[in-house]
Amino acid sequence: MKKRNRSFVSLLIAFSFVVLAVTGILAFALPFSLQIVGLHALMGFVFIGIIVLHVVNNYHHLSRYMKTRVLWVTVVITVGLTGLFLWQPKPIRNILTLSQNLGPAMDRFEVQNDGLIYDYRPSPNYKMTLNLRAGETFDEQAAPHVAIWLENASFYHIKTLREPDDSIAGRAALPYWDFKRRGWESAKQEMETEGLDLELPPEVDGVSGATQNSSFDPADYILPADPDNPMPYRLLIEIDQPNDNQPSLVYSVEIDNSTPQAFQLLDLVGFPKQEANDADGKEVWALYFVDDQFSSALELIDSGLLTIDR
Amino acid sequence: MTNSQHDGGRRNFLQKSVLGTAAAGLAIASTTHIKADPVPDASEPEIVNEVEVLVIGGGTAGHVAAIQAGRAGAKTLIVERNSQLGGTTTTGGVAFPGLFDAWGKQIIAGIGWELVKESVELDGGKFPNFAKVPQRHWQNQVFTNQFLYAILAEEKCAQAGVEIAFYEFPQAVQQTSDGWQVDCVGFGTRRRVLCKQIIDCTGGAEVVGMLGLPRLREEERQPGSFLFMLGKEHQPGRNQAHRLYVHGADSTNSRTATEANLTGRKSILARVRKDKKRLMHMQPETGFRESYRIQGETLISVNDYTSGRLFEDAISYAFYPVDLHTKTGVKPKPLKPGKVPTIPLRALIPKSSKNIMVAGRCVSSDRLANSGLRVQASCMGMGQAAGVTATLAAKLGTTPLEVPLTKIHALLREHGQIVPGKA
Repeated sequence: MKKRNRSFVSLLIAFSFVVLAVTGILAFALPFSLQIVGLHALMGFVFIGIIVLHVVNNYHHLSRYMKTRVLWVTVVITVGLTGLFLWQPKPIRNILTLSQNLGPAMDRFEVQNDGLIYDYRPSPNYKMTLNLRAGETFDEQAAPHVAIWLENASFYHIKTLREPDDSIAGRAALPYWDFKRRGWESAKQEMETEGLDLELPPEVDGVSGATQNSSFDPADYILPADPDNPMPYRLLIEIDQPNDNQPSLVYSVEIDNSTPQAFQLLDLVGFPKQEANDADGKEVWALYFVDDQFSSALELIDSGLLTIDR
Repeated sequence: MTNSQHDGGRRNFLQKSVLGTAAAGLAIASTTHIKADPVPDASEPEIVNEVEVLVIGGGTAGHVAAIQAGRAGAKTLIVERNSQLGGTTTTGGVAFPGLFDAWGKQIIAGIGWELVKESVELDGGKFPNFAKVPQRHWQNQVFTNQFLYAILAEEKCAQAGVEIAFYEFPQAVQQTSDGWQVDCVGFGTRRRVLCKQIIDCTGGAEVVGMLGLPRLREEERQPGSFLFMLGKEHQPGRNQAHRLYVHGADSTNSRTATEANLTGRKSILARVRKDKKRLMHMQPETGFRESYRIQGETLISVNDYTSGRLFEDAISYAFYPVDLHTKTGVKPKPLKPGKVPTIPLRALIPKSSKNIMVAGRCVSSDRLANSGLRVQASCMGMGQAAGVTATLAAKLGTTPLEVPLTKIHALLREHGQIVPGKA
């Protein structure tokens, strides 16, 4: 009976390992798929259970191994690999970039010496790549604060794609994005308090004003359910180089899926300035045209290219 | 109450009554010394004028052209079929002119801006902050008091020595050895004008049409807008009036314009009955967007417009989204950052013509380019350039196409206009 149990567990380990190995490779090589990643994760949990049985079955042998020098070698190797994969130096990053699966976050942001790259893939059939080519004053070692977000045609924040790495300093350095984001969060909170569904556009007008398109659901813009009636939206970035004594700069590009363009260049819009509070005492920020207070900040980015594979 | 008190009270009452009546009488009497100047030969129905520059149409481009020609020293007459200057800004009620700025810099100044600025300042109004990035293009249009604007335009014409002829329009145009003979008609007036240069600012290039020169016209035109205010006070220079589209509105001739106005007013009456609100304000006529355009020596294409092409003979900037109104409304297509279209002189000169120019929405352009060029600031820029060119042509005894561009630019700069190209 014990022998049958042992062979049952061993074969189960072998077969489930095959599934795990295949789905693991597929999950790395292919764009994100809930089926593959789901299968891999759930089979992983099953595998954990079988391994417990396997450890119980082989406890005698394992306890013997624990007393050998091999134990320390394996511990060192495991710790070393864990540290390396967590640290992710450039060669490891390069391996990771081979992956087509950007994981549940569906995005990837990298600072390189020639600029910044941001990939966003909300669906296997839709890949957005923003390539901010470094300008003369760009310094990889002291990379600027960057936020990337989407707004609808009524200028309301609908999704932040990329927050600055240092959230406290970043929010202070990128006040326009922070203002927009907070506006969105307060509108969202207001709607939740009122028990309204965020994905029902007509009701949003109460918060956002009468608008041409007022859905807060990014999917309505990026991957519209009705491809014949897409809603235009804008991708914006705010960028600031710390300690340059110049305000942040905002660049944008309009994306209209009704007239799809594979390549679009971002345009410099302006710089943020705080206005007098509105009639309700709420903070207001507006963008102003770039004036002569700017010098090196204008050289941070040589160009911003948005590529969309649909 | 004692008798003396009673008497005093009665006396006071009588005194106040008398003073009150006198004051009222004075108020009425105070208007009696405002007297129109006598019109020489007012009973004579036929008159003759000899001028250097005749501006036909006193609308957005026309009054600017006339003031400019007058200021540049040309003897100038302006003929307007309505009762005031300003056109779309005043009679049409779109007292919201734009766009004078682009990307944080002023691009159209000169006489048009002078009038808008003075109107706003006199009215205690506010200007948009042009340094601020507008989320919508119209945020940089200027709320203007249409009534003040019309009066200031007349004042500036008078100061520039421009003669104004309201209620008149051209009936016949003939070429003469050194210019034109234009027969105009108004009620009780037949006016023969002998002039060296004509600036056709009729909106639909009516004089160009009378001369048989080629014009362009679409099968279907953009809707006009009829402005009114329902249920609340209209504050000129402060708020925008309500507006309704008059589809098919066509300013081609008196019959089509009549139909547009009847349709617009009928729709407003229907709104009043439906909404059961007071009608607080209504403009006298429809604001028309589109009729004829000339076929000029150069045609501005939508690519020229959106790419911000700097024409070699550019005489003015223009700035507005491509803004084609249709049955379903309008979806303005903003210009790309940094792009500022220009208007070439040759787009104001009808093809194969001499001694005649146009200014305003009938500028030689394709339909989409025209949907951006037709707005007030751009038309004012064209008007001023036409005023300068026609004056120089009249003084030099040549035709607008032959006037040296350097002289046009120099005179435009002298009169405060921004000239494309060199700073």
